[in-house]
Parts: sequence; structure tokens; C-alpha cells
Amino acid sequence: MSAADLDLMEAHKRELGELAKKAGALVSGVADANAFTAAMEGQRPGELLPGCKTVFVLGGAQPRAGDWASPSYRHMETTSTSDRVTAMGNRIAQHIERRFGYYAVTIPPGVDRARRPFLNIALAAELAGCGSPSLAGPVLHPQFGFMYYTAVLTTLPLPVDAPLSTPACPAPECVSMWDELGTTPCMATCPIDDGGCLGGKLEGGRVKERRYDVARCTTRVQTSFIPGFQKALEAVFDEPEKEKRKMILYSSQFTRTLWSMSYSNVSQGQCFECMRVCPVGSTQRNLL
Amino acid sequence: MSNLAELVRAALAPDAETAIAMARADELRKLALTSGVDVVGIAPVERWDEFVPPGARPYDILPGAKSVVVVGVRGPSAGAWQSPDHRLIEMNGYDFANDRVIHLVADHIEQEYGYQAIQAPGLPVGGHQPAFSMMLAAVLAGLGTRSFAANIILNPQYGLLYYSACLTTLTLPVDPMLEQDVCPAPMCVQVYKAGGRTPCQAACPSDDGGCLHGTIGPDNRIESTYYDRERCVSRAMNFGINSFQKALEQIANEDDDERRRMMIHSDFFTRSASAIAFYKESVAQCFECMRVCPIGRAERKLK
Repeated sequence: MSAADLDLMEAHKRELGELAKKAGALVSGVADANAFTAAMEGQRPGELLPGCKTVFVLGGAQPRAGDWASPSYRHMETTSTSDRVTAMGNRIAQHIERRFGYYAVTIPPGVDRARRPFLNIALAAELAGCGSPSLAGPVLHPQFGFMYYTAVLTTLPLPVDAPLSTPACPAPECVSMWDELGTTPCMATCPIDDGGCLGGKLEGGRVKERRYDVARCTTRVQTSFIPGFQKALEAVFDEPEKEKRKMILYSSQFTRTLWSMSYSNVSQGQCFECMRVCPVGSTQRNLL
Repeated sequence: MSNLAELVRAALAPDAETAIAMARADELRKLALTSGVDVVGIAPVERWDEFVPPGARPYDILPGAKSVVVVGVRGPSAGAWQSPDHRLIEMNGYDFANDRVIHLVADHIEQEYGYQAIQAPGLPVGGHQPAFSMMLAAVLAGLGTRSFAANIILNPQYGLLYYSACLTTLTLPVDPMLEQDVCPAPMCVQVYKAGGRTPCQAACPSDDGGCLHGTIGPDNRIESTYYDRERCVSRAMNFGINSFQKALEQIANEDDDERRRMMIHSDFFTRSASAIAFYKESVAQCFECMRVCPIGRAERKLK
């Protein structure tokens, strides 16, 4: 590859990074399409877009400082979603196709067959150096902490980024807490051995072991989304008494479930407690 | 001499009102195109009179409406058309860019020019009938013509587009309707003459379990079309409101508790519920007649 080609690739990456920022992204990075060796079959970039060379990752649309400050926990449910970041991804894909003339496709936020995502976007974010996995689960950026990510697959060659050399999790505060109390803020707020979802061990200031009860987490995070709807529907049909069935259908729980489904972009997740206590990026939430 | 020049200038110069209307039309076009749509067309409301019964014309929806501004955007990205995972194109087909832009157009008309403007209603409000046909609006605004493929309106440059329209009391200079049919493309005429079917009809033949049939006349234009809408719906809308209703009926009719539970938590019902919740990401699930259509293919051919 000639120096001119490399310069052009750098220029393309710079242009896309600037566009991403203008569209509202906090971070962006590029992963090599061939680096997804840990992904499941059918979920690798080249299997979704033949000839895919790179994966452009954007992160942002995080809950705002004001959202975190609100004493109404219900508020957060209805404002923090993956919708905004997906719209940013679509802009990038459109730009790649119309300005550079290469194929591009945004990974949709929903699930493919059997509740599997199309592409492991957390892995894409990690490979693109946009963050690192955490004890709590979400990919965390060292400066901004928790945010939403999207990925754009493209045949456009771009200079790739490396994963972060120092993981964002555990934060120094969490290492101190572990040394003193044998737990971290996220594990303490949702302990797996006491009805919660998170467990693990730190060693030498790094995560040594991680335990995560995904099924239990789902029952808390998605109390009123599609899984909640299915559960309620099951209860309705199992109920032989007409009056009680009517009560279930008109209940606050079922009403909320329908609202969150029809306005899916405003209530996909209903628990943010492990992220609320996470110190990574917390300085971004300290405003006047 | 100078008198003659002035006379010529006066004869050529449009009157002030026309000049303002033309400048506004240009401004609206520029606004829409720079906001993300691919095409813009303007039609006078009178064009609907010939095709639509009283009660469903633009001025029935917005009293005093004079013009209809129609915008169109490409749906799936070229990359999505390339993907071997058909679910990816289903969920990347539509991002409401046309609706967003039509709101910008309507806002601009009301706030800058002081005329009323509304988004034309595109969704069904009674049964499956939309209150206002975006397909007809696109044709009347000169953006495309009907095709063999499920009557989809094809734009000469981009092929399949998604449309939104704005009804306004503002009088604007209008665009001519297309004089030449976009469908059938010359290539399709040749294929038809050789094999008796166009590419879309071959991809989904109504006499072999599909939805499409039609004939091309001696003038190389569409002579007749047949479109099995019911069959098409059962394929193009596997997941969405229709499949949700169907599945719910089956669930309600199932007496066996265990089987009912299985149906509620099945992959099919989950995807149906998901298609409703993520409505904008999975409106349609079959693009096969459009996949083989040569119109607009050049726009989808990238590196």
C-alpha cells in the first residue's frame, strides 16, 4: 500500500470521526473486520457484509448528568435508549456510501433469531478501542464511562485502532474498595450471592473473575419490555377467572408494558443501579 | 433601443408573485435535499381530482390546500442489499428520514412563509387503507411511475424509494409528471420477450406460488398487471402487526396450557412482538422483487 493510500485512509477516518462528533457521538474508533475471532459463527462482519474490511464504532447517547441526578428512577427508564446512537450510525453509513462509494451497513439494535444480536456490538467497541468490558457488564470508556454503542460494517479500508491497553474497569476507587471490603460498588449494589446479578474477583488491580446472572438481570432490567409483555400475557391466559383477567389486562404493570413496547425507543431498560454507583466517567455527571 | 430592451426584459421577467413562489420552491427543495432526502417533487392539488374520490383529496384533509410537496429517500443502504443475512435488510430498510424531513419542510412553510402546512397522513387509520396514498402523491409529483412489482413506484434514478408528503395552503410552482414510464426497463422488455416474464415476475410468479404477473404490450409499455396483495402480505410482513394478530389469535385459541406457554415464549412470537416494538426497523421482510429490479441498480453498485 502506497503512502498516498495510507494518507487517504487516514483522511477518510478523520472525516468520519468529525462527522460522528458532529452527529453527537462522544467517541469513535475502527476495528479490523478480521479481528472478530471470538464472535459466534454468523455474527462476524464478513458474514454479514461480504468483503467487509473494517467496523466503524460510535459511542454516545449516554444518559445526561441531569438524568442521573433525577430522584425519579422511572425518569431514566424513559430517556436512555440506543435509538439516538443508531441514528448516528445511519448517518455514517450513508456518508461512506454516498461520499466514498463503499458499501456500508449499520448494525440494528434489535435481536436476530432467538434473541441473539446481529453482531456483538460490545466486542466491536472493545476491538475499536472505544472502551473495555466491565465487571458490571457494559463496555466502559475510561473518560465517559457508560454509553451506548453502534457499529457500521463497511468495505472501506480504514486505519484500525487497538483495544485499550489499560481497561477502564476496575477504577482505582474500586480496587481500594476491593482491598478493604472484598467487593466493588457494582457488586455491592447487586450481589450475586444475595439475590443480585454481579460477582467476581480482583487481583493485582485487574478483574480476575466475573460472574453475571443474565437471567436474573433480565427480570430486573426488562420488567416492562417484550419479556414483561410475554410474561403478563401468559398470566392473562392462565387466569380462569374473568374478573381477575380483566384486572391483569388493565393493571398498571400491563399498561406500562404496552407503553414501553409501543414507545420502544423510550423504555428498553429499567435498571441502571450498577452503573449509577460506577465511578468510571462519574466526573462527567458532576455538573452544577 | 433602450425602450426595446426594457420591453423585452418586461416580457421575459416573471411577475413578482411568481418570482417569490419560484424562490420559495427552490428554497424548500434545497432544505429537503440537504436534510437527507434524495428527491423532491411538487404537485398541484387539482391533480388528485382525477384519481381520488371526494373526501380523500388534499384539500379535504387540509382545507384550502394548494400544493403538495413530496420527498423520497432510499431505504436500505447498498451494503444492506449485499448482506446474505436477509434479516439485516429487513431491519435497515427504514429510518423515517422522509418523515423527519417532511416535518422540516412543513415547519419552514409555516414559520418562514406564514402558510399552513401539515404532514400528509401515511398510516392506515381504518382497516389497512391509508388516509392518503404516498404512492399516488409520488406519481403526481413527477417522482416515479407504477411498476409490475407490487405496484411499487419506481424513481428513474433510484428505483425503490420511501415517500412522505406535505400538504400546504402555499401556492408553489409545480413539477410535471413523468412522461415516460420507468417500468418496464429496456432490459426487462428484452427478458420478457425472450421468456415471457420480467425479472420481478420471474422472482415471484403468481402462477407458481408468487404474487406477480403482467403483460407488456407491443409499445413496450405495461399492458396489464396482476398483484396478489394477500399473498404478498403473508411474505412481506411475516413479523409485524399482522403476524402478531395472527399469533395472538392462535394463542388465545390454544387450550393446552403448556403449548400456549410455548407459543407465547416462542422465537416467532418474540420476533412478532419485537417487530411491533421496533416498528420502524422491520416494516417489511421481503425485498425479492426489488432485488432483481434493474431500476436504480447502478446506485447500489459500490466498491
